[in-house]
Amino acid sequence: MPAPARRALGAVLAVLGLALAALGAWTALKLGPAGEVHFSATSKATGAIVVEPGILNSLNLPVRIKATRGDGGAVWLAAAPSTDAGAVLAKSAVSTVSGVHFPAGTLDLRVSGTGSLHDISTADIWRVSSKGAGSAELLVGQGRGPETAVLTSGDATALTNVTVTLTWAQRPWFFEALAAAVIGAIVAAFALNDVSNSRRTARWAHAVRTRRSRVRT
Amino acid sequence: MTRVVRAIALSIVAVVGSSSVAGCGAARAALGIHEAPKANPALAPLTVEQAERILTRDFAAAQQGATTTGVAAQAALSTAYADQGLRAAKARIRLAAIQPSAADSPLLTPEKPLLLAVPRGFGYPRVMVAQTVAAEGSLPVLHLLLSPDASTPYRITASATMMPASTVKPFDPLNQGSPLVTDGKGLAVSDTAMLKAYAEAMAFPAKPVTAPPFAADPFSSQVRVRAAAVAKSVVTQAKFSQVHKVVPHSVYAVRQADGGALVFGVILRTDSFAVKSGQAVNTVANKAFVLLSGKKKVTKSASITTVEFVVFSVPRETGRATLVAASEQVVAGSGS
Repeated sequence: MPAPARRALGAVLAVLGLALAALGAWTALKLGPAGEVHFSATSKATGAIVVEPGILNSLNLPVRIKATRGDGGAVWLAAAPSTDAGAVLAKSAVSTVSGVHFPAGTLDLRVSGTGSLHDISTADIWRVSSKGAGSAELLVGQGRGPETAVLTSGDATALTNVTVTLTWAQRPWFFEALAAAVIGAIVAAFALNDVSNSRRTARWAHAVRTRRSRVRT
Repeated sequence: MTRVVRAIALSIVAVVGSSSVAGCGAARAALGIHEAPKANPALAPLTVEQAERILTRDFAAAQQGATTTGVAAQAALSTAYADQGLRAAKARIRLAAIQPSAADSPLLTPEKPLLLAVPRGFGYPRVMVAQTVAAEGSLPVLHLLLSPDASTPYRITASATMMPASTVKPFDPLNQGSPLVTDGKGLAVSDTAMLKAYAEAMAFPAKPVTAPPFAADPFSSQVRVRAAAVAKSVVTQAKFSQVHKVVPHSVYAVRQADGGALVFGVILRTDSFAVKSGQAVNTVANKAFVLLSGKKKVTKSASITTVEFVVFSVPRETGRATLVAASEQVVAGSGS
């Protein structure tokens, strides 16, 4: 391989290695040793918050849903088969979690429907549920999807100004990110070393050629 | 040098560009992100734990409703029962003083209810079948719990005591659920047609029934014998007749593992007395009628309504239906 091409390849590998090392280190830092990734949003609209299966069942990992009400009122969280949850929600006002953003850690909320929701907690469709004053948490396992999680007021008051956080946790993610950082650093180190050697060799060859031409003259 | 810089820049752009296009998909795959699974209609829509929680709640409420009084009792009964099941439970409690007491109720302190069948698929209505045994040695009671739609919880709509020596064939595993047979397909006889024929066969005066799709059973025999005895006892004062009608939307056939079905149905029996002119019938002896109608004497007519819960085992393709369980409860009376 010609020296300039080798130097170019080495530089590219060095840049990519550094990028991988930086991204891996940053991701590992962001996930933490538990390998947790959090996404949050605060709904100012009145009505229930719904997490549809496209988000809830997108990974074969349990999802931890946490809801916190600004006014400290009752919170009720539950998950049910999507068709059943859709039937009880009907066309009432809801904010649906329609997207997650990494690394921003935010959730998109889409507001739809009108009218208040009747007490849906008495229905026998909810596989798991949780309630609390001010905040509540629910762990939704996988394997029975498609399911929909619904977050609503546990009392007669309308639900508004509530922050919902979705958390997925997988410890191997942290180690994968760490591995990426280490591999990136090694690749960058080798590539930089190669570029440096190649430049030194080129300078030495250039110097030899110059001396020889002086001797001839 | 310029050539080298240009080569590096181009390489970076190419690598970053191609890796970001492929990287999105690769990252999703590496993280295990996938589309949401499709609903599986061949599975139960609720877990066994959920179903057992529902059973525990309903039977605890039934017990509370039978052992307490006032508003709390009414609320408990409405939590446990619905439709004709609720009507019968309220009447049983109302008549507890003159009929076998609430303490003898098969629902009182039963052993842990045994879950026999849960629904399959995501359609409505959904039903569960359960069995209780009030005390050691007593006959088991079969219960049908119905949820007509997603918003309405499961409630006991029918309870019937099993016939001596009768058995219930197994259902599909609880995690798969058992489908409802809604059109009678695959059964020796359509569930609704069979129950209609059964109800008509119990009428008094008796009507001839040719080739009934059900086997003879002690419950209907007793009903007919009692009707004949009543007619005989009032023959000088009144004309007695008895009509049995299947309650609309009360018939549910739950498919069993062998392809047959366990069919629950509710029949309304009306005993009618047309008092002969110039006669006055003293009804004091019939304490249930007095309590329900408030009449101790009738001069024109009287009627007594009884809810009959029946459970049949209907075979697949050929054969006759067999009565597995039956219970009755007087629920109303009127007279003039």
